[in-house]
Amino acid sequence: MTTHPAVVVFLYGLATALATGLGAIPFAFLRSVSPRVVAFANATAAGLMLGASFGLVVEGTAHGSWQTLVGATVGVAFILGTQQVLGHHDIEFGRARGAGARRMLLMIIVMTVHSFSEGVAVGVSFGGGATLAVVITAAIAVHNIPEGLAISAVLRPRGSSVLACAGWSIFSSVPQPLMAVPAFLFVETFREALPYGIGFAAGAMVFMVLVELLPEAYGQARRPHVALVVSCTLVGMVLFQQWL
Amino acid sequence: MTVDPTVTVLLYSSLAAATAVLGAFPFVLHERLPVARIGWANALAAGMMLGAAYALMALAAQYGLGRTAGGALLGILFVYWTHLASSTEDLDLNRIDEPGPEYGYQVLFINAMHSAAEGVAIGVAMHVNISFGIFMALAIAAHNIPEATILCAILTGRGVRVVNAGGLAVATNVSQVLLAIVTYAVVAAVPILLPWALGFAVGTLVYLVLAELLPESYHQAGSTTIALVTIAAMGMVVLLGQFGG
Repeated sequence: MTTHPAVVVFLYGLATALATGLGAIPFAFLRSVSPRVVAFANATAAGLMLGASFGLVVEGTAHGSWQTLVGATVGVAFILGTQQVLGHHDIEFGRARGAGARRMLLMIIVMTVHSFSEGVAVGVSFGGGATLAVVITAAIAVHNIPEGLAISAVLRPRGSSVLACAGWSIFSSVPQPLMAVPAFLFVETFREALPYGIGFAAGAMVFMVLVELLPEAYGQARRPHVALVVSCTLVGMVLFQQWL
Repeated sequence: MTVDPTVTVLLYSSLAAATAVLGAFPFVLHERLPVARIGWANALAAGMMLGAAYALMALAAQYGLGRTAGGALLGILFVYWTHLASSTEDLDLNRIDEPGPEYGYQVLFINAMHSAAEGVAIGVAMHVNISFGIFMALAIAAHNIPEATILCAILTGRGVRVVNAGGLAVATNVSQVLLAIVTYAVVAAVPILLPWALGFAVGTLVYLVLAELLPESYHQAGSTTIALVTIAAMGMVVLLGQFGG
């Protein structure tokens, strides 16, 4: 019996989504939840997201600079809009309320929507030929772990359990298998949409860092420490992604 | 007639240093600038610097990632250490009404060190190729204007005349010209240093944005404004780099 290639793509995509949950593991050892911990976790997430965006922009502009720019602008507008909507409601998320809860929810939304374009990227690259499938899948799976780390870094210090962190991390990657399949089946159509999607993901993540994560980090930890954590994590993330 | 590339580096880095004088212009018209405008200046300077860092980082893959990352870590640690050693790591860099003489010298020192790092970026970009170097010099030149506006706000607030404030803003950028030429010459002489210098430039630019420009800005204008101005300035430089470099 041969499995339909689309099913294979879906299963591979699912495996990469599950890998995201591994990012919650380092936070199993985190108990104390001081403002400083929140600040450093924010700074870590910021560095990871800036590094990931760097890779996305390089890839997006290779497909088309203007399309990437349009996508990025929409990504920024999307975050602004979501902030507005969330700002008008008194949100509760787990044990957190108010600004903390908004940040948690926003983080999950940002990372989830950004997975859509990653799923398209997976599907399109599978469309190029199935020989590299395993390599690509392994690469994406490993690449997803720091994204789970970024999500957990925002959720865990605000009171989510490790299991909840892993669950939300996996949830944020579910669009990957979902989008990989149609992108694989209709490669040409999706290839054209890819730079828009990548731009969207990068714009949304960079804006999230600048508007939510950094201001809070500066408010609760000393400046040189925030700068050190963000810049070193950024370098580490870029190295990690390029090395894959 | 062909111009020696070292002269090109000298000319463009000098141009970048000199544009700082434009940052003094708002003070010819107004005595003081609203705090929110200083926040804008910080965000503009930060965004352009991040765009420049992006352009340099995009080259890193071609020149060996490990060494570039090593250079970046050296750059980050270097600036971290200069802040620590000069006890400026927690200093509010935008105090308009600080009368103490010590503060004035600290701010001038910080600005000179900041410019030196940008000089490395110009020098290494010039070595990659001249047109990319010119793009980098112009990006840094544009970035120097809002940065000089902030410095001039501090200096004029301390009673320095506008002409002298503009002059001092240019003077703190002399280190930029110097480091651009030194970096260019050294990397040309010892090409194996190129990825290290490239990484060093990226590391210092990113760290300076995070440690000097963004922290104060969020108090001066709201986080939404700062984030929008920063990302717009960054996008502009990245986009120009796509077509220029």
